[in-house]
Amino acid sequence: MSDWRRRWQRYRRQNRVLVGLYVGLLLLTAAGFALFNRLGGLPPEELTNRLLVFLLWWFDLTLIAIVLFIILRNLLRLALERRFGILGARFRTKLLLSYVVLSLAPTLVLFLLGVSLLSRAAASWFAAPVEGMVAASVQLAEGARQAAESRTARAAEVVARRLAEVGDERARVAELERLHALLGNHLTVLYRRGAPVVELVDPRQRSMLRLPPIEASSLRSSGLRGERFAGTVVVRGWQVLPDGAAVVVGEALPASMTAAQGRLVTAAAAYERLKLERPTITATAVLGFGGLALLVAFAAMWLGLYLSRRFTAPLLALAAAARRVAEGESLEEVPLPAEDEVGLLVDAFNAMARRLQGREAELEAAVRRLRTVLSAIRTGVLTLDAGRRTVLANPAAAALLGMPELVEAPQLLEVLAGSFPRLVETIRSSPSGFRGSLTLYPAGAARHVEVAVVALGSPEQPEGWVVALEDLTPLLRAQRQAAWSEAARRIAHQIKNPLTPIRLAAERIARQSERRSPELPAIVQQGCSAIVEHVQSMQEMVDAFARYAKFPPISRRPVRPGELVRQVTALYAGVRPDLRVETRDGGDDREELLDPEQLRQVLTNLIDNAVEASPPGGAVTVEVARDGDDVVFVVEDEGPGLPVEDPELLFQPFFSTKGRGSGVGLALVQRIVSDHGGTVRLEARQGRGVRAVVRIPGVQR
Amino acid sequence: MVLAALALAAVAAVPDLEVMVQPSTGRLAVQMAVGRALPDEWTQALAAGAPVSITYRLRLYRNRRLFWDLRLASHELVVKAQRDPLTGVFSLVSEMNGEILASGEVNSLEEAIFWVTHPPTAELALPIRHEPLWLFVRAEFLTRYKLLVIPTTVGTDWVQKAVPESP
Repeated sequence: MSDWRRRWQRYRRQNRVLVGLYVGLLLLTAAGFALFNRLGGLPPEELTNRLLVFLLWWFDLTLIAIVLFIILRNLLRLALERRFGILGARFRTKLLLSYVVLSLAPTLVLFLLGVSLLSRAAASWFAAPVEGMVAASVQLAEGARQAAESRTARAAEVVARRLAEVGDERARVAELERLHALLGNHLTVLYRRGAPVVELVDPRQRSMLRLPPIEASSLRSSGLRGERFAGTVVVRGWQVLPDGAAVVVGEALPASMTAAQGRLVTAAAAYERLKLERPTITATAVLGFGGLALLVAFAAMWLGLYLSRRFTAPLLALAAAARRVAEGESLEEVPLPAEDEVGLLVDAFNAMARRLQGREAELEAAVRRLRTVLSAIRTGVLTLDAGRRTVLANPAAAALLGMPELVEAPQLLEVLAGSFPRLVETIRSSPSGFRGSLTLYPAGAARHVEVAVVALGSPEQPEGWVVALEDLTPLLRAQRQAAWSEAARRIAHQIKNPLTPIRLAAERIARQSERRSPELPAIVQQGCSAIVEHVQSMQEMVDAFARYAKFPPISRRPVRPGELVRQVTALYAGVRPDLRVETRDGGDDREELLDPEQLRQVLTNLIDNAVEASPPGGAVTVEVARDGDDVVFVVEDEGPGLPVEDPELLFQPFFSTKGRGSGVGLALVQRIVSDHGGTVRLEARQGRGVRAVVRIPGVQR
Repeated sequence: MVLAALALAAVAAVPDLEVMVQPSTGRLAVQMAVGRALPDEWTQALAAGAPVSITYRLRLYRNRRLFWDLRLASHELVVKAQRDPLTGVFSLVSEMNGEILASGEVNSLEEAIFWVTHPPTAELALPIRHEPLWLFVRAEFLTRYKLLVIPTTVGTDWVQKAVPESP
C-alpha cells in the first residue's frame, strides 16, 4: 500500500476533514455563483464597493458559521460526554465556557465600542461645518460664474442696443470696436446669418479666438453659455439685433481662480459622492471590524480549545489510567510527551507506575509463593472475607474437608454448614479469634482438628479471616501409642518395684520352711507384712490410675475465684505447726464460668506439693489475680526448688521424683487446666522455692 | 374631503415606473419613465456635482408551462448624470449594457432629472417565441443599509409587462 493511499485512508476516516472540505467547497461555489450573478455588468467603482461588501459579508458569515459550529459542536460533544459520564467532561465544559465567555465578551464589547466610534467618526466627517464649507465652495464657484454671466449678458445687451441704433455697416464695426474697448470685453463677436463676421479679442485672451462658434440655432434668441476652454471657464452671452444679427460677448474667468474653483468643486463633488456612499463605507467598516472581531474571537476560541485539549489531555490520560487501576486493571505508564509541569506530573505518575508495577510483580511472586506453600503444606487453610460469607481453601483443607470445589473459587460459607456445623459455628461465633480443637466428621470418619481462627488486620475491623486446620488425628494416634507405651513402661516399673520385695519375701519364707527353721513363724510374719504392704501400695497405684483414666469432663458454672482459693487454703490452716499458708486475693470478685471441683483439685495438688517441699518455718502463698479477662492462680513455696531441669517432665503421668506416690498429681493439674483452655507452668523462684502459675482464660457467660 | 381623496387617488395612480413596450420584428422597444420622486440624497448629490446614476434593469422571461420561467436575457440601462458647478452644465450619458446609447447636456436640474427619469428607448432583441414572453423592469437609484450592514436597493418595484405579439 502506497504512502498516499495510507494518507488518504487516514484522512477518509477523519470525517471532519471531509465534511469541512465539502462545506468549504459548497460555500465557495455558492459564493462564486452569487458573485458572478450579482456583480456582472457593474461599473468599476460600484463593482469595487459591492465586491468589497460582498466579500466582507462572506468573510463574516463564514467566520460566524465557523465560530457557531465550533461552539455548538463542542457544547454538543461535551453535553453527550457529560451524559455518558466520560471522564473529564465537566472539567472541559468549564474550560470551554470560560474560554467562550473570556473571548466573546471582550470581543463583543470591543466590537460595539468600535462600531460606535466608527459611526461617530463617520458622522463627524459629514458634520454641519464641513457641509457648509462644501456648499460655500460650490456657491463660490457658481457665484463667480454667475457674476461673469451677468456681466457678459449686460455687455451684450449694451452693445446690441447701440448697434441697433447704427445703420451703416462700417459705423457698426467702429462702434463695436469702441464698445469692445470701452467695456473691456475679452471677446466681442458680431454674427450675421449664423456666422461670425467681426471678432474682437482682448490681446491677453487670444486663445478665445479658437472657441467654437455658437450654433445658429442658439442665436435665434438671447442666451448665456458657460464652458470650459483652455484651462479656464469662458462665459458667453449674446443678444439678437432687430435685423437678425447677433452680438456675442465673452469673458474668460482668471485661470488661477478657475483652477482653485475647479479644485473646490472637485473636492465638493468627491465629498458628495462620499456622502452618497457613506452607508456603504460604514457597512464596509462595520463588516470589516466585525470580521476582525470574529477573527479574534475565532482565534481566541480555537486557541482556548487547543490549549484546553493540550492541558487536559495528559491530566485526563492520568485520570483515565487511575480509573482503570481503580476498576481493577493493572497500572500502566501513560505515554504522553510533555515538557512542562504537567510533564513532571506525568513523569511522576509513570515513576509511580513503574514502582508499583515492581511491587505488584513482587506481590504476585509472593502470592505465587504463598499459593505454592499453601498447596504444599499439610495444614489446611481457609480464607474468608471480612464478613465471613465466602470461603476459599487450599488443597490440604479441601482434602481434609472432602470438598475439592473449595479450591477452585470462593464458595459461600453455607456450603460447609451442612457437613461441618460446629466448624462453621466456631468460625462465625469467634469475635476476635479462636484457638481450640474440634472433631470433624468428613465422610463419616472422625478427624481431630486443631482449629485457629485469626483475623487479618485488626480484630475490630478485620480485612478478612484465616482459619488454620491442623489434622491432629495421626499425631494423636501416635501420641496415644507413645503414651500407652510410656504408661506401660511406667506401670511396669511401678509394679516391678513392689514385686521384687514380694518375691524376695516369698523366697525367704520358702527357704526357711525347707530348713524347718525355728524362726519361720517370725519370718513368715515379716514376709507377709512386707507382701501386704507392697500389695497395698500396688492397690493405691491402681486406684490412682483409675482416677486418672476416669477423669470426668469439666462442668462450668459461675464461681468467684477468690472465694474458691480461700475455701481451699482454709483446709491447710495448721497442717504443719512450722508452716504458714497465706492467701492474697488480687481479683475483682467477678464470677467466672469454671468447674469448681476440678479447680479445687488443681489447687489442692499444687498446695500439697508446696507444703511437702517447704522447710520448717517456711511459708506457702496462694494468690489469685486478674490479667485482662484471664484468671491467674499462683502457688509459691520456699522449698529447694525444681528437682529437674525440664519442668515439663513433672507434668507427665506417673513421673515422680519423690520415690513414692503415683506421679499423676501434676498430670491431673495439667489435664484440668487444659480442659479449661488454660496453661500451667512451674518456675524456679528467685532465691529458692518454686512458683506454679495457672492461667485460665475467661469465658463469656 | 372628496377633493383630497381624489388627489390622493391621483397621486396613487401615478406608477413608480411606467413601462411601454412596442414590439417589432425581432425587436422590442421599451420606453420607461420613473414616476416617483428620486431620493433626496441622490438629487442633492447631483446638484452638488457628484456623479449619480439610475440603473434600469430589464429582464426578459419566457413563461413556460409546468416549469419555472426561463430568463432569456438580462440588460442594464444605466443613465449617468453629473453637473459641472463651474459651468452649470449637466452632462448626461445613457449606456445600454456598457455601450453608450445617448448623451447630452442640459443647463438645469429639472431638465437633468427629467432626462435620467425618462431614458432613451431601449431596443431589446426578441427571440423566436413559442410561449408567452414577460418583461420585468426595475429602476434602481442607490443602495442603503439596514442595521448598518444589510444592503437594500432603493428603487422601484419590478414592473411586469407582457410582451405583445409583433405585428
